[in-house]
Amino acid sequence: MKRANGLLIYTTLYLAFLYLPVLLLPLFSFNDGTIVAFPIKGWTLDWYRQLGAQDTLLNALGNSLIVGITTALLATSMGLFAARAYVRNRFPGKEASEGLVMLPLVIPGIIVASSMLVLFISIGLKPSLTAVILGHSFLALPFSVSIMKSAFDDFDASLEEAAYDLGSTVLETFRRVTLPVVAPGIVSSFLVTFTVSFDEFVLAFFLSGNEPTLPVYIWSQIRFPAKLPNTLALGSVLLLASVLLLVVAEYFRRRSSSKSA
Amino acid sequence: MSDTPIIDLQNLEKRFGKFTAVSNVSLSLRQGEFFSLLGPSGCGKTTVLRMIAGFQEPSSGQVLIDGQDMSDIPANKRPTNMVFQSYAIFPHLNVGDNVAYGLRGRGIARTEIDQRVSEALDMVELGGLQSRRATELSGGQRQRVALARALVMRPKVLLLDEPLSALDKNLREQMQFEMRHLQQSLGITFVMVTHDQYEAMTMSDRIGVMFNGELVQVDAPNVLYARPRNRAVANFIGGMNFLPADAKEDASGALDVTMPGFGRMRIDQNPNVTARSAQALVGIRPEQLEIAADRPADYDAVAKGTVRDVAFYGENIHYRVLLDGVETPIAASVPNYFHSIDFKPGDAVWLGVQSASVIDLGRDS
Amino acid sequence: MFKLRSDTSRGLTLAAPATLYVGLLVAAPLVILVAYSMWTQTYVSIDRTPTWANYREALTDPLVRHLMIRSILIAGAVTVATVLTAYPIAYFIAFRARKKTLWLLLITIPFWSSYLLRVFAWKLILGFNGVMNSALMVTGMIDEPLTFLLYNEFAVVLTLAHAWAPFAILPIYVSLQKIDPSLLEAATDLGNGAVARFLRVTLPLTIPGIIAASLIIFIPTVGDYVTPSLVGGSDGKMIANLIQVQFGAANNWPLGATLSLLAMLAVGFVALVFALGLTAAGRRIR
Repeated sequence: MKRANGLLIYTTLYLAFLYLPVLLLPLFSFNDGTIVAFPIKGWTLDWYRQLGAQDTLLNALGNSLIVGITTALLATSMGLFAARAYVRNRFPGKEASEGLVMLPLVIPGIIVASSMLVLFISIGLKPSLTAVILGHSFLALPFSVSIMKSAFDDFDASLEEAAYDLGSTVLETFRRVTLPVVAPGIVSSFLVTFTVSFDEFVLAFFLSGNEPTLPVYIWSQIRFPAKLPNTLALGSVLLLASVLLLVVAEYFRRRSSSKSA
Repeated sequence: MSDTPIIDLQNLEKRFGKFTAVSNVSLSLRQGEFFSLLGPSGCGKTTVLRMIAGFQEPSSGQVLIDGQDMSDIPANKRPTNMVFQSYAIFPHLNVGDNVAYGLRGRGIARTEIDQRVSEALDMVELGGLQSRRATELSGGQRQRVALARALVMRPKVLLLDEPLSALDKNLREQMQFEMRHLQQSLGITFVMVTHDQYEAMTMSDRIGVMFNGELVQVDAPNVLYARPRNRAVANFIGGMNFLPADAKEDASGALDVTMPGFGRMRIDQNPNVTARSAQALVGIRPEQLEIAADRPADYDAVAKGTVRDVAFYGENIHYRVLLDGVETPIAASVPNYFHSIDFKPGDAVWLGVQSASVIDLGRDS
Repeated sequence: MFKLRSDTSRGLTLAAPATLYVGLLVAAPLVILVAYSMWTQTYVSIDRTPTWANYREALTDPLVRHLMIRSILIAGAVTVATVLTAYPIAYFIAFRARKKTLWLLLITIPFWSSYLLRVFAWKLILGFNGVMNSALMVTGMIDEPLTFLLYNEFAVVLTLAHAWAPFAILPIYVSLQKIDPSLLEAATDLGNGAVARFLRVTLPLTIPGIIAASLIIFIPTVGDYVTPSLVGGSDGKMIANLIQVQFGAANNWPLGATLSLLAMLAVGFVALVFALGLTAAGRRIR
């Protein structure tokens, strides 16, 4: 009993360590002063108000949304098909393929970024949002595949067979049986891959050229101490948005696995 | 050698919240006995076994092993070892290391460990397989490794949790004999949990039947079969026809029983019939019934009926017969040896029974 | 037969886009990176005469060697620190916690905020005039700001141990979760106390999880440059910073490509040795 308590205390402290930096950003974003230190001078919403008036920021936000949504669409559709093949079909090279699509998780970011830059330049694709989308889809694919795999895992194959048996065509079965059942998984994958793209910095830094995404914009702002409170406010908004998206994604993921259980 | 029971369970009880998993179980096991706890799943038999092993603490009552109270002795210090239902073979160790696992924790010299491991493996007929990887073993081999790993510890009691349920039928039957043989040659007390009546009957010296957390009857297999204490036990072990009956004691102490279809029967020398209640439940095993086309002679009671269905079981043929004026069909099973008997549904037949075959199951409830 | 063939071909068709996409984006850049590494940057253009000059330069330059070794050491320290601190958490969730999914969610939520912002937050926390120092001074625990907090290897290790936490916790949690409880009972039954049981059964069975966690942390860490540039100072700079400079300010892509390839080889080699070594060590536990 004593050991379990020690472990619980340790876990609680560890959680505090995990949340410390994440909670400090919002805390100091309301601080009425430009230096991030205690004591807090006073409370203000000015930093948030100023955000709306910054064109470069809004521009970067727009870029990030475009990249994020396109990436989410690309990665989720590739992940959907691949995951179905991995869970349902047997074919030569299946294991190699499953391993390969997980590879982006373990290649150092700088190497992915530099090699893609070199590749895209060589084939005449200038750094641009398109280049970032291609790169982000690569990075997001492992997330999509694993989410969709668990969605298909939980889904009884005999449901599809029953639909064939009742006379549906392959496409009809997919639309009327497969899709509705794995829909929560798709939503979850979409949200997660969007978040991966939305937060990604290194690749975007290399590949975005003169169309910065939001993290690239933030990077450029971090150097200026005067802009610090604005950056904190922006970071807090992004934080809230990410957490909300993830909670929604988790809700859908749960729904997808409880539905078929 | 003393008369101290090797295992003594005293009013053992286990509650999980409001649910009582095991209620008031008392039981004494003799040294060297092969004992089975038999019952349907969820009856509490595994919980009893786990309380003996020390994996679960009794809510009340005590476990004594060789006269010693186990209340404050944790599982790893008890003189018991267990063969787990899943066998729990350590996947990261080879066969030899699995069997040596418990010995290595005890500071025993390496040469002695090696010797005891190879003896244990010989005992379960896996001699020389020390370096075989755990993942390369068949189901039967895993079972043998689990046995060797527990027996090498020389426990006072070996606990077996459904040890054969993961094996296919032929292997299971073979292992039943092997384990019985092993147990007899080692003289170690075995306590086995099983839901399989045949397994329990073929292997055990005594069987304890459990229902709903209660130990209902403890007896040798043949006694259990001949004299089940109540309807639940009778129903769980072998097939049984249940008949409500009127019973009357006459002046000579013999019993006058009236069963539907069979009419009156005088029972004077049946030790199975003890109750003297007016409304009784009696049981007749299907194989104790004679089935014939003509009224059979020399039976204490006969009944007339019609064959409803026939099922061919290989060594036996099972008939279900509707007696005249009785709703519930009566099952009768006949050895396939009697080729001459070959009834079809709709045939008119006679059933005959001897008074010694009638089992009194107490009140009809 | 027909069923089998349609099964195979459908599988191939469905898996093709993802496989080809990742395959192409892994293979093609690699080929081009190799090509670049054998070319030479002249003032404004690229000289495409094959040469080993970049490799010679990279392998003889003490700065490269220094940064490479330091990157691997720092990444190693990050890996060890993260795995050691994360293991008890994974253990807690797998064996002690009642609401496992809630705990897992709690662990992962902070990591869906931007990585950049989290590293930045640490810079603010550890800085000379930062949150930590000011908090300690306001509460009177120190009089002078502590200077050893930021711009060194410690800051890098701390920040990354934070950044990688869920990547260590999740694989270890999964491998703990996979342990059949009856194996633990068997160890107890065979005489082990809690500590011996952990060392002889739990730990060896979670080695695959530890390896997965270590690789998923170690490999990307060697290639990280955000953290070293934000909180590492000159003491904390790593090989990725040098690579980034070659593709940026120094505009020497061939040398950058060479460094990337060498870093990849070094990482792969160390990771392989580590994984094999840990597996072999696990086998010796009996």
